[in-house]
Amino acid sequence: MAIVEMSRITLIGLNRDKEMIMDALMKLGAIELADADEKLASEEWSSVTARDGDAEEVSSLENKLEKLRFSIEYLAKFDKRKKGLFENKRNLKERDLDAILADSPRLWSVVDSIISHDESLTALKNARNKKMGLIASLKPWESLDVPLQTTSTDSTVISIGVTPAASDAMSLLDELLEHAGECHAEIINQDKEQTYLLIIYHKASEQSVSEILKKFGFSRVTFKGLEGTPAENIKSAEKEIQDIDNQCFKIEGEVSSLVNEKASLEVLFDYTCIQRDKKKALHNILKTESAFFMEGWVPSASAGKVTKHITDMADCIVEIRKPDKDEEYPILLSNPSVVQPFEMITEMYSLPSSKGIDPNIFMAPFYFVFFGLMVSDAGYGILMACVTGILLLKFKFEGMLLKLMRLLFLGGISTFIWGVLFGGWFGNIADIFAGRQEAIPPLWFNPLNDPMRLLIWSMIFGAVHLFTGMALKAYMLVRDGKPLDALFDIGFWYIFLIGLPLMGFGGMAAVVGKYMALAGAILLVLTQGRNEKGIVRKLLSGVLSLYNVTGYLSDVLSYSRLLALGLATGVIATVINTVGTLFGFNVLGIIVLAAVFIGGHIFNILINALGAYVHASRLQYVEFFSKFYEGGGQSFRPFKRNTKYINLLND
Amino acid sequence: MNDWVSSLFNGNTLALIGAALAVFLAGTGSAKGVGIVGEAAAGLITEDPGKFGQALLLQALPGTQGIYGLLTAFVILNKIGIVGGTPVELTTQQGFLILASALPIAFVGLYSGIAQGRAAAAGVGIIAKRPEELAKGIMFAAMVETYAVLALLASILMVTGIKL
Repeated sequence: MAIVEMSRITLIGLNRDKEMIMDALMKLGAIELADADEKLASEEWSSVTARDGDAEEVSSLENKLEKLRFSIEYLAKFDKRKKGLFENKRNLKERDLDAILADSPRLWSVVDSIISHDESLTALKNARNKKMGLIASLKPWESLDVPLQTTSTDSTVISIGVTPAASDAMSLLDELLEHAGECHAEIINQDKEQTYLLIIYHKASEQSVSEILKKFGFSRVTFKGLEGTPAENIKSAEKEIQDIDNQCFKIEGEVSSLVNEKASLEVLFDYTCIQRDKKKALHNILKTESAFFMEGWVPSASAGKVTKHITDMADCIVEIRKPDKDEEYPILLSNPSVVQPFEMITEMYSLPSSKGIDPNIFMAPFYFVFFGLMVSDAGYGILMACVTGILLLKFKFEGMLLKLMRLLFLGGISTFIWGVLFGGWFGNIADIFAGRQEAIPPLWFNPLNDPMRLLIWSMIFGAVHLFTGMALKAYMLVRDGKPLDALFDIGFWYIFLIGLPLMGFGGMAAVVGKYMALAGAILLVLTQGRNEKGIVRKLLSGVLSLYNVTGYLSDVLSYSRLLALGLATGVIATVINTVGTLFGFNVLGIIVLAAVFIGGHIFNILINALGAYVHASRLQYVEFFSKFYEGGGQSFRPFKRNTKYINLLND
Repeated sequence: MNDWVSSLFNGNTLALIGAALAVFLAGTGSAKGVGIVGEAAAGLITEDPGKFGQALLLQALPGTQGIYGLLTAFVILNKIGIVGGTPVELTTQQGFLILASALPIAFVGLYSGIAQGRAAAAGVGIIAKRPEELAKGIMFAAMVETYAVLALLASILMVTGIKL
């Protein structure tokens, strides 16, 4: 329960064993390699060693990975097998891996053929689009029976073209017949935008015809390189499209016959990924002619085992040492499994620094309580816990998603508990069916009837939360050998801050509270200026420090959101139920009720769970962490096999 | 002349104006805020459709003010018996009291909805470049919401505190 202690590990080995040692380290997955930059910066090291690793090899592996990723995603589109929402990694024995690797030349040719199939499909699709465009432009001319390449005869000009719909095509025809003498003009087609015309006239009347045409906004249309009538052209283009479609279908068929290779390609992908990581890791290793040197971090608990494993295997020197006092080391958290989901909340803020403390175990109970209080409906809680519980049982989640699911599961339980305490079951649905108030009586009280009571409780929860944060700060101060600071900065504030609200109660408590607040204030005034010079400045900054009480006040008030969001869930649920029962309890009414009930409550759960998650996090980040937390740690990234599709099992 | 004044400033009318203001102003704030985020998110989705889920999460954030407004309206309607129960005849003074109690969420909802929309829209930039830091973008927007929550609390405490 806390931050895992790390040791610095140094390893010097022979180049001939390097491959083997790297493999072993990767299998163990317990060491984070340190950057070699620091060592290389010193003359002493750079004069005798050089950086290992081959950037070109890494990038060629990256290239291969990119091709594999493309092929896998491409095949996934053709994969007709039913897919679940979440896919588990497959287990693979090393023996089976070797079999697949032996087959890799064939797999690479599969990859190449997928890529070339994709290229030809793209080319075909482009060609198809071109033909479609041609058909669209020829379609209006379909009834024209003059071949498109014929633009003139010995004595006539044959011209096709369009006029905008705004100009009157009929009067164009009239005018042509009137002024141009021997000529033939007809309307081939008409649509919303323009009129399509065929005009045949004598070459001699060129001048007058073009004047008239100009007047009506006629523009010539030519189809370069086309022969035959439009109808013929359309027909042949349609036939070509048909051919293209057939070809596409054939290629797609070929690709989908490769779907069965997807599983093997995934294995190849993961294997290549591991190779890439191994080559990349070499970048942080220093080498001489015959030996290599590496440094890194290893959890202290497993340092002995790692050392033994490596030294048994090869001739090498392994040295383990504790980190120096000021040396920051990578952070690995270790918490009981029930606290682990809450680590994601802390991780989103910042990992603790190696000099700080792991807040998760202290923060978890508060997060649990606050989340539930802000949703506080027993029905919603059961639903959330059941849905996430079933998902957790059915699928093997990993990493963040696993933590999130478990967080929602725990949140559901907390929501259920608070719902029972406050008597909320899908809002007031029981009341509506029973026809009376509080059909399911609350175990504690109904906050809608007495919001002030819950407001005070919210602030009490908040005060406990804040005091816990301050206690952690005191612990850190004592640990760092500053017990007096802990007493002055935390202890005296405790006295003052507990005294103040006590004054609000009557009787003995008020008297005790008065003296506590007074004593606390005097002690704070006397001690808070201790770092200043001169008695006047000491006193002045002591008095000013009392102003910080406003900070504590606003912190406590911030917890009123527990009440507000808790009420919001209940009231929205009531609105949903009221709207649902507007039609009464006949057949139609029941259908409406079911629809509104299901849709409305699911919406309410989603929006309120999001709100509860966000605001419970905020209370941790802004109110709690600000009291003590030291963040800024780097997470522990061990050198290991990172896979996407498979788990490699040892034989 | 007193006749029409008293009929216009009838207690129930005033209470309903309060409820209407809560829905109308807070809802306007949310609509505007959600719209701002939607515009920013649509730009991101053209580049990277895979981030739809994350963007939607950010877009949902400024939507709560509208819900708070509706919630306050419902509490008011419930109080004066228009929804569920027997309607209560309010005096003009009681009507003004209820109108006043609707104002915090109405105005804070309006402005915080828009401001939260801006903060969340800036968060869309975070998921464009560093999707793993989504939570921080959400937190920035959530800081704005604090004030809507406080206003909601004030409104509800005021309504429930009024004696009819």
